[in-house]
Amino acid sequence: MADVLTETVLPEDLKRFEKIYHEQLYKNDVTPKAQFEYAWCLVRSKYPADIQKGIVLLEELYKTHEEGHRDYLYYLAIGTARLKEYSKALNYVRSFLAIEPGNQQVITLQQTIKKKMEKEGLVGMAMAGGVVLAVGAIVGVGMAIAHKVKS
Amino acid sequence: MSAGPYNYSYIFKYIIIGDMGVGKSCLLHQFTEKKFMADCPHTIGVEFGTRIIEVSGQKIKLQIWDTAGQERFRAVTRSYYRGAAGALMVYDITRRSTYNHLSSWLTDTRNLTNPSTVIFLIGNKCDLDAQRDVTYEEASKFAEENGLMFVEASAKTGDNVEEAFLETAKKIYQSIQDGRLDLNAAESGVQHKPSQPGRNNLSNDQQGNKDNCAC
Repeated sequence: MADVLTETVLPEDLKRFEKIYHEQLYKNDVTPKAQFEYAWCLVRSKYPADIQKGIVLLEELYKTHEEGHRDYLYYLAIGTARLKEYSKALNYVRSFLAIEPGNQQVITLQQTIKKKMEKEGLVGMAMAGGVVLAVGAIVGVGMAIAHKVKS
Repeated sequence: MSAGPYNYSYIFKYIIIGDMGVGKSCLLHQFTEKKFMADCPHTIGVEFGTRIIEVSGQKIKLQIWDTAGQERFRAVTRSYYRGAAGALMVYDITRRSTYNHLSSWLTDTRNLTNPSTVIFLIGNKCDLDAQRDVTYEEASKFAEENGLMFVEASAKTGDNVEEAFLETAKKIYQSIQDGRLDLNAAESGVQHKPSQPGRNNLSNDQQGNKDNCAC
């Protein structure tokens, strides 16, 4: 229970769609549907390696299957955002909105990604602040020791 | 600080299901934004929305998964049914086919959710009464036979939209109060958020480290 960038696929669901995809791959006859369903599950995995694999499958679909372009762009944006590749994710969002400017679902995704970036940006700054304090403390201790040695 | 990070005490998971073009996303948008989306493109996969409501003085956060109605998404959207506390099943009163498919949606819902899941039937687009293709009585009878709650609503005018979402929550809350819904069950679709435990431990630890410092 979370949002589109944090909810995760259940392992049994991922396995089910993986099996269908692999069976078709074995016969050298993968349908866009099977590949998309598998990729859709992969980009919702908690493992970055799965997400990466899902992105590769979606990129391949995007090149070969024009009919599903909007679906592939949307899930490419989600996959890259989940890998914290935010500028890539926002590029996919922008490409989508260039074709369908008023799409509320994609505008919402754009806001969700930006909010996440902001949040992580603040966390990053807080961490940097912590480092400065720690360095300050070490320098302080060093000076105190130096002072002691001198006296 | 008296207020924790949660300003609600429960989370309920909802799903919205039904044929494509019946207005599922418009109902969600009307409920979360109080606005009607005139040009609503087909949803891709699933969409997500939240709103905090109040039932019997308790703040409840609704986490709503709005599923795409197009057939090609159906295999994967089924995995979102699991653990839903409420299911809003929508048809379009001006298109009979969307009503005829309800039994298939209902079968899916019953198979993939748990017995305590509240299923609410919504006949959307009731503002288009002149083009009506399904009578109120007929749908009402279907709902009664299958133990569903039911209203006709309009995502366009907002009629009965709040009611559908709120009545579902009331019914879920009632199930919790009656003990019919087990909060500890993995797939109840309900999370209870007790008061914030506080973060004193962390600062105490840091304090301790400082005191141990040899200088």
